[in-house]
Amino acid sequence: MTVASQVKQSLASLKGVQTSLSSLSTRTQSEEAKKTFQEGIELIDQVKKDLINRVGELEREEEQYKGI
Amino acid sequence: MPEWIEAFLRSISLLIIIFVIAKFIGKRQLSQLTAFEFMIGIIIAVIAAELTLGGVSFVSGFVGLSVWFLIPFLITWLALKSKAIHDFVRGKGTVFIKDGKIMEDNLKKESFTSDDLLQRLRSKNIFQAADVEFAVLEPDGEINVLPKRENQPITPKDVAATVAPIKEPQTVIMDGDIMKEPLATAGLSVNWLHTELEKQGVTIENVYLGQVDNFGQLTLDLFDDKLQVPSPQEKPALLATLKKCQADMEMFALSTENQEAKQMYTKNSQKLQTAIDKMEPLLKS
Repeated sequence: MTVASQVKQSLASLKGVQTSLSSLSTRTQSEEAKKTFQEGIELIDQVKKDLINRVGELEREEEQYKGI
Repeated sequence: MPEWIEAFLRSISLLIIIFVIAKFIGKRQLSQLTAFEFMIGIIIAVIAAELTLGGVSFVSGFVGLSVWFLIPFLITWLALKSKAIHDFVRGKGTVFIKDGKIMEDNLKKESFTSDDLLQRLRSKNIFQAADVEFAVLEPDGEINVLPKRENQPITPKDVAATVAPIKEPQTVIMDGDIMKEPLATAGLSVNWLHTELEKQGVTIENVYLGQVDNFGQLTLDLFDDKLQVPSPQEKPALLATLKKCQADMEMFALSTENQEAKQMYTKNSQKLQTAIDKMEPLLKS
């Protein structure tokens, strides 16, 4: 597995986590928990942005493994 | 009028009267009644019984019943309005143990022996009087005890732990029937419930009890006890994935030679760690 595909895998996992979190936060009855989930989603959002940039850089370096 | 018809009518009308009186007295439990209220209850019951059997005329019986019901009812109402009347009618608590010391005079006043006190403490799971900081005999005869700080059960506050907030669970399936109102209270739809049941692979007819916790997770009890229902795995799986991602970031940071990327990965691994720290108490249970 190339580095780029590993990073892509993490990115995909993070996206999955984010969806599960937002589904949890909509179903949760307690406002406090809702807020915490939203904070978590925001943090993951920032990480996702950086990772997407990094995937772009890696793909430029390893042209032959272009994926997404 | 034949005797049996009269007895029948008396019984029915008294049944209704007593039912109404019981409704008016309210939800206060029998154990919380003061001695006075307890006696009033017995007297009302005796008058009602006498009336049923025709021992007294209906009118005088009814007057007796009204007095025994209305005046205590009035007193209760006044006690609600004024603290002084409340204290006079319902009595005040008597302090039995203060600052860890037994108040012998108060014990004597309430005709409690040391054995009685010890017995009541034992029923509160305290076997040594020295473990008690404060104990009071309530007007209804109950003893309430504040153990010394070191003998109190430890709480999340004591260990400064963060715990997930809790809301009451909603019972959405009873005896195989969907309860629409609790489902709406939890902000969920019947469709959602059907999907969730399908995910767990059970039919609604087989569900004896289904409850939704405050994270919208469904827990089931089936009629068929041989079947195993999976406990909700969503949150633990989520936490595990999040931890894996965080570990990935650290690994990428170690394996890359690009300094800029290294910094980016380290920063993001820290961000994910903060996210984990924040949400772990919520996702653990």
